[in-house]
Amino acid sequence: MAADSRVDCRRASRLLSLACERELDTAEVQALRRHLDACLMCRNFSAQLDFMRKAAKKYSRG
Amino acid sequence: MPAPSAAESRFGEIESHRAYLMRYALAQLRDAQLAEEAVQEALLAALESIGGFDGRSSLRTWLTSILRFKVVDLQRRAIKERAHESLDEEHVGGDDEGWLDDHFDETGHWRVPPQAWSDPEASLDQRRFWEAFEHCLSGLSSMAGRVFFRREVLGDDTAAICKDENITASNCWVILHRARIALRGCLEANWFGEARSRGR
Repeated sequence: MAADSRVDCRRASRLLSLACERELDTAEVQALRRHLDACLMCRNFSAQLDFMRKAAKKYSRG
Repeated sequence: MPAPSAAESRFGEIESHRAYLMRYALAQLRDAQLAEEAVQEALLAALESIGGFDGRSSLRTWLTSILRFKVVDLQRRAIKERAHESLDEEHVGGDDEGWLDDHFDETGHWRVPPQAWSDPEASLDQRRFWEAFEHCLSGLSSMAGRVFFRREVLGDDTAAICKDENITASNCWVILHRARIALRGCLEANWFGEARSRGR
């Protein structure tokens, strides 16, 4: 990621979503981790992503 | 009123999966009319062969396996009929992420902060949760709905989805990100928010 390693919620949410599609590189992982440590809202979002994925899987079985 | 016959209740049970099957067909066929046709044919076939359903998989899984054949069949026919046709769908702007402004302010903070959902797993067993889930899926744009369905519900490869939708991987990621943000907002507004206010 760019020299600016500060990640706001907008970028953090994007990285969280991206992590469902491809492996994040080390810089991305570190920046994301730093943000999550400090941000409850994005931790909530992260948990919601996990739950929605689980729900979507279950939806296919009915 | 007489009690519903076995055949009638079987019909009702099969019918209850129609919304899911329609999403499945739409995700593959990308055409509402074709999808409707595929589902119709699949449901008829299912009614005729329900005796062969042994209950080893879920009814939905069994119905989906019938639908899959109909979808492939219609895909073949459609390819023959319309040699080539551009997508009439919304165009996906390359790096345009203006939509994120609806969800984040100038300082990059959530406009509506995601809440902690209490005991979300318990929702998975509630019929009303699935109504909310389907309602929220319906709120996605047609392309986002298809991409999300294939990626998250069917677990398809992003590369395969991009290819079928004729979009780049980064467009695909943006669409998925957008769908997830929209879906989480909708579920929170229509289900988890309400659940909290009901004091569960």
